[in-house]
Amino acid sequence: MKKIADRRGTRLAIFLCLLPALAIYTYVVIVPIIGAFRYSLFNWSGGPNMKYIGLKNYQMLLKDKNFWAAFLNNLKITILCVFGQIGIAFIFSAMLSSRFIKLKKLHRVVAYFPSTISAVVVGFAWSFIFNYDYGLINVILRAVGLNDWAQAWLNNPDTIIGVVCIPLIWQYIGYYMVIIMAAMSSIDPSIYEMAELDGASGVQRALKITLPLIKNSIGVAVMLCIAGNMKIFDHIYVMTNGGPGTSSMVMALQVYKTTFVKNQFGYASAMSIGILILSLAIVGGSRVLINRPWRKERDF
Amino acid sequence: MIGKKILRVICNLIFIIFSFTCVFPIVWIFYSSFKTQAEFMQSSVALPKALDFSNYINVFTSTSMPKYMLNSARNTLLSVAVIIIVAFLAGYVLSRYKFRGRAAIYNYFIMGMLIPIHALLVPMYVQLNEMGLTNHWYTLLIPYIGFGLPISIMLIESYISSIPGELEEAAAIDGCSFARTLFQIVFPLASPILATVAIIQFFAVWNEFTFALILVNNDNLRTVPVGLTMFKGAYTVDYPRMMTGIIVTMLPVMILYFIFSKRIIEGMVAGAVKG
Repeated sequence: MKKIADRRGTRLAIFLCLLPALAIYTYVVIVPIIGAFRYSLFNWSGGPNMKYIGLKNYQMLLKDKNFWAAFLNNLKITILCVFGQIGIAFIFSAMLSSRFIKLKKLHRVVAYFPSTISAVVVGFAWSFIFNYDYGLINVILRAVGLNDWAQAWLNNPDTIIGVVCIPLIWQYIGYYMVIIMAAMSSIDPSIYEMAELDGASGVQRALKITLPLIKNSIGVAVMLCIAGNMKIFDHIYVMTNGGPGTSSMVMALQVYKTTFVKNQFGYASAMSIGILILSLAIVGGSRVLINRPWRKERDF
Repeated sequence: MIGKKILRVICNLIFIIFSFTCVFPIVWIFYSSFKTQAEFMQSSVALPKALDFSNYINVFTSTSMPKYMLNSARNTLLSVAVIIIVAFLAGYVLSRYKFRGRAAIYNYFIMGMLIPIHALLVPMYVQLNEMGLTNHWYTLLIPYIGFGLPISIMLIESYISSIPGELEEAAAIDGCSFARTLFQIVFPLASPILATVAIIQFFAVWNEFTFALILVNNDNLRTVPVGLTMFKGAYTVDYPRMMTGIIVTMLPVMILYFIFSKRIIEGMVAGAVKG
C-alpha cells in the first residue's frame, strides 16, 4: 500500500516527520564530509591561522610512506580476517548443522558472546593474554615445557600484524557463524538426504552443496568483514597503539595521531578524504566482484 | 561404525573446546579479579584461594568507574530513545507515502551506511568544537544518533512496507488523526523491528570508543570504554584491579546478553545482513 501525498496537510505531516532525521543526519554525516574537503586544502594546525595551499596536502599524502604502510596493514588485517573469521565460521557452521553435534543452542549463544563485548575490553583482555610474564599463552607454553616459545607477543614487529588479528578473529567467528547458519537453515534438507544416499561425505556436502547455495550470504559476510577491518581502530589503540614503532599502525589510528598528537588538522583532513576514497573503492570493488544485487527493487 | 562414532566424539569435543575458548578469557579475568596482586603474580592462572572483594570495593569507592557507567547508561538510553522515535517517523512516511523526492531521500539516508566514521573524526571534532558543542552531557548523543539513523531507518522502512496498511485505512475512515494513527496503531505494529533497532543501537552506543575519546575530555563526562583506558594509565601494574574494572563495566551488558541472547543474536544479524 502506498498513499499519494495529495493534500497540503499530508504534505506538511510528511515534511515534519522527515525533518528531524534529515537535520540530524545531515549535520552529523554530510556536513563533516564537506568540512573535511575544505580543511584538506589548508595548512592548518587547529588554531586561527589557516593557509590555503590547494592540493599540496594530497600531493604529500600520495608520497607519505607511513600512510601507505598503514593502508597495507589494513589490507593485511582484512585478508587474514576474511579467511580467519569467515573460513573458520564456515567450517564450524557446517559441522554444527550436522545431526550429531550436541548442545547446539549453547554453542551458538556462547560463540556469539565475544562479538557483543566492546572492542576496548577485547583489546585489554588480549593484552593480558599476550603478556610476557603472566599472560595465558606464555603460562601454558611454559607449563608444557616450551619455554623457548614464550615471548613478548606484542613486541615483535615482524609478527605483530598476525598477533593482533588473533583477538579480531576470536571476537567475530561467532558473529559470522550465526550469519552463515541462518543462510544454511534455509537450504532444503532433502538435498542433503539425497546426497547422503549417493554416498557424499560430509566434507563433499559442505563444499559442493552448501557453499554454492549460500554464496550470497558468504558475499555479505565478506563485505561486512572488509568494511569492518578498513575502519579498525579501537583494538589497535588499546593493544599496541600502532607499535612497536609503527609496525601495527592502521589508517584510522594514523589520522587520530596526525590530528591530536601532531596537530596537523589540514593534512589529517586530506588523510580522512583518502581513507574515505580507499574504503569506498575497496568495499565497492568487492561488492562488484561478489556481484550481489544489493539494492532491492523499488517501485519509485 | 566405530570409526564414525570416534569422529563424532572428536567433533563434539572440538566444539566444546571452541566454546570454552570463546568464554575463557573473560572467565579468567573474572576469577582473577578476586585475587590480590601478589597472588596473581605468583600464579596467574590458578583459581583464587579465597574470595577477596577488596578489588571491587576499591573500584566502587575510590575510582571514577561508577561515574563512567552512569554516563554510558545515560548516553545509551537517550540515544536509543531518540533514534527509535526519529527513525520511526522517517521510516514510516518513507514506506507509506508517495511523494516527489522520496527515492532520493531514501538513498540519501542509505548512503550514510557506506561512510566509514573514522574518515569524519577531524571534521566532526572541528565542527562541534567551533559551535561549542564539545564537553557537554549531550555531546556524544549527536554523533551516536546521527550515525545510528541510516540502518535504523532502513530496517524500519522495510518492515513497515511488509505489513498491510488496512488498520491504518480503517483508522483514517473513522476519522483518526495522523499523529494518533502513527503512535497508537503503527507504533505497536512495528514493535518487533523497533526492538531489533533498539538492540543494535544499544550495543553500538554502549561499546562506542572513538567519538567518546575525541569529543569529550572532561573526566566527569567520560564513558566506560574511554574510562577503562584511563584506568589502565593509573594502575598499569595492578592487574587484578584492572580486571575488576573490566568485569564491573561488562557486567550489565553481559547479563542482558545471556537473558535475551536469542533475540539479540537474531536482531543484530538481521541488521547486519540487511545493511
